[in-house]
Amino acid sequence: MQTFELNTTISNLRSLRETDLSPYDAVYLGNIYCRSFQENFLERLDDLSEGIARVKERGLRAYVTTYAAPRNDALPKVQKALETAASAGADGIEVHNLGVLRMLHERFPGLPVHIGGFANVYTDAGAAVLKDYGAVRFTPNYEISLDEVKAIADSVSLPAEILLHGKMPLGVSDSCFLLEYESKWADKCPAVCQKDLFLRQEDWAMRSVGKGVLSGKDVCLLEHLPALLAGGYRMFRIEAAYETPAYRFNIARVYRAALERAVLGDGIVDELAWHTVRQHTAVGLCNGFYFGRTGSEYVGSQGAAAEVSWLSTR
Amino acid sequence: MAIQGQGWARLMHYSKRAANKRPADKPVTLLAPAGNLEAAAQAFDAGADAVYAGLKGWSRGGSRGELDRDQLRNCIALADRLGKQVQLALNIIPASRVRKRLLEELGELAKWGIQAVIVNDLGVLREIRQGLPELPITVSIGCGALSVDDLSFYQDLGASAVVLPGYLEPREVAAIKAKSSIKVEVMLHMVEEFTQLGKCWMPSYYHFAAGERIQPAPRLAGSVKRGGVGTCFRICQQPWQLVRDGLEVDNRVLPSRQISRLAELGEFLEAGVDVIKIQGRSLSADMVGAITGRYRSALNAWQRGGAAECMPAVLPSMWTVQGR
Repeated sequence: MQTFELNTTISNLRSLRETDLSPYDAVYLGNIYCRSFQENFLERLDDLSEGIARVKERGLRAYVTTYAAPRNDALPKVQKALETAASAGADGIEVHNLGVLRMLHERFPGLPVHIGGFANVYTDAGAAVLKDYGAVRFTPNYEISLDEVKAIADSVSLPAEILLHGKMPLGVSDSCFLLEYESKWADKCPAVCQKDLFLRQEDWAMRSVGKGVLSGKDVCLLEHLPALLAGGYRMFRIEAAYETPAYRFNIARVYRAALERAVLGDGIVDELAWHTVRQHTAVGLCNGFYFGRTGSEYVGSQGAAAEVSWLSTR
Repeated sequence: MAIQGQGWARLMHYSKRAANKRPADKPVTLLAPAGNLEAAAQAFDAGADAVYAGLKGWSRGGSRGELDRDQLRNCIALADRLGKQVQLALNIIPASRVRKRLLEELGELAKWGIQAVIVNDLGVLREIRQGLPELPITVSIGCGALSVDDLSFYQDLGASAVVLPGYLEPREVAAIKAKSSIKVEVMLHMVEEFTQLGKCWMPSYYHFAAGERIQPAPRLAGSVKRGGVGTCFRICQQPWQLVRDGLEVDNRVLPSRQISRLAELGEFLEAGVDVIKIQGRSLSADMVGAITGRYRSALNAWQRGGAAECMPAVLPSMWTVQGR
């Protein structure tokens, strides 16, 4: 009895090949931050075709994501990526940028549209506009609470996709400051942004990915799955664009098992699951903004256990 | 890209070249910030064609740089006397429960004579277009428009103008302008922060809703994007340790820079820019007047197609909007 979708993000073919996708129902292909990301599906269209085929061969849904903030020079490539997605049988396109949304709506009306987190859906009025442009689901802006998400989803009759676990996007940039370090480090673009890089200020930390900033802590809703299901949410993301294949698999395996139990009314999370989650976080856990609190806070039974001394893990 | 620090000679070159390519009678609006009435007066005096102002509780950035209703009315009256105009920044993202009231109030303000309303949310944009079809609507820089297709999207939705960031190149603006029938504004004087305007919620990741406790307003609870009061505490400009593989490798702030593309004004005008916009509703009145004056001088010189007088392209470093 399949009553939910668990999906993730993978940026290139190499990472897709290395990832055990068995806990997943769907995969978003592509890196939204940077055209120069190593072997980005959105720039290597043969890889994108192969990636879509590989995902579908496994009986999963293949989605293609698109750039968060493209300038004019990226648009021809975006269009080619959409053409590739359409011809390869992609099951949906994630859109963060409204110009890309318009392109999709006009030229590829048959492709289902998923609205991404950088499209800034904060209100029902905004979501209603996007629905008129063909949106079939939306990831709300990360700043709004579950109460607000539900109000929007109910008002507009548009299902929401929820970031279930992983580093939450906090911002996107037009430039990459990691390029400053090319002369100092052995690593060059496009490999440097995939290194283990954090920005730290006392007990604050953010993950740097060059042209993007992510939360240092991992959003974790593991113990809130029964409430999410009761709230009507069925589409869940493990955000892992910059994570290892091991992270992508192990975290998803925990969540898949927990979701399957929660569907049957069992919301208990065993200690082994928590151990796995803690093993795969460098800084600790948070809930994002889903409970109307500061994004880096954790609400739930884990409390202090969610605070991992990130230095001690290294 | 040329930013603050590029040369006088280049400015002269472009001033002369550009004047031959753009119709001399094509109007260009110089739009200045007005965080208070004195700033509006100084902006007009220095040559601004229009100012943009926020009404208390309605604009991104909070009470700093907002006018109350009487002040807004006086600002509009001042503009009327001078033959100039006032745009209203309604660039919060109002909660559903207050959006209807804001739109009703906007109908009243439109009758006062505001020239346009600046919005930051596509839902608000569409509802204003439906409810007040005659009121020009400008899409805020916070909406993140960067490309030809972005402009087309907002044009389809009923916008009258879109604000682009000053870090775009003139050729990009020309391409946009070539395919767009709505006005293109470019914020040629602004701070480019590391994360794009409208696509950053780093502050609320650490402090959410703090400002709302200070001054309740018809905003959604406290985020910068939504317009929360005092919620941007310049987290990007605080010192950060860059840690790689668990080891500290640098101490730094995230990169930002002051953009002032005075030296390339001719190129932007040649590209078809309709409105030159200056950032900074929190700037002092004196500074608004001084910066506006520089742009007015440059614009006049370009329109004459001749040499600019006393118009160095380099703005003094204190003339920035870092403290906005």
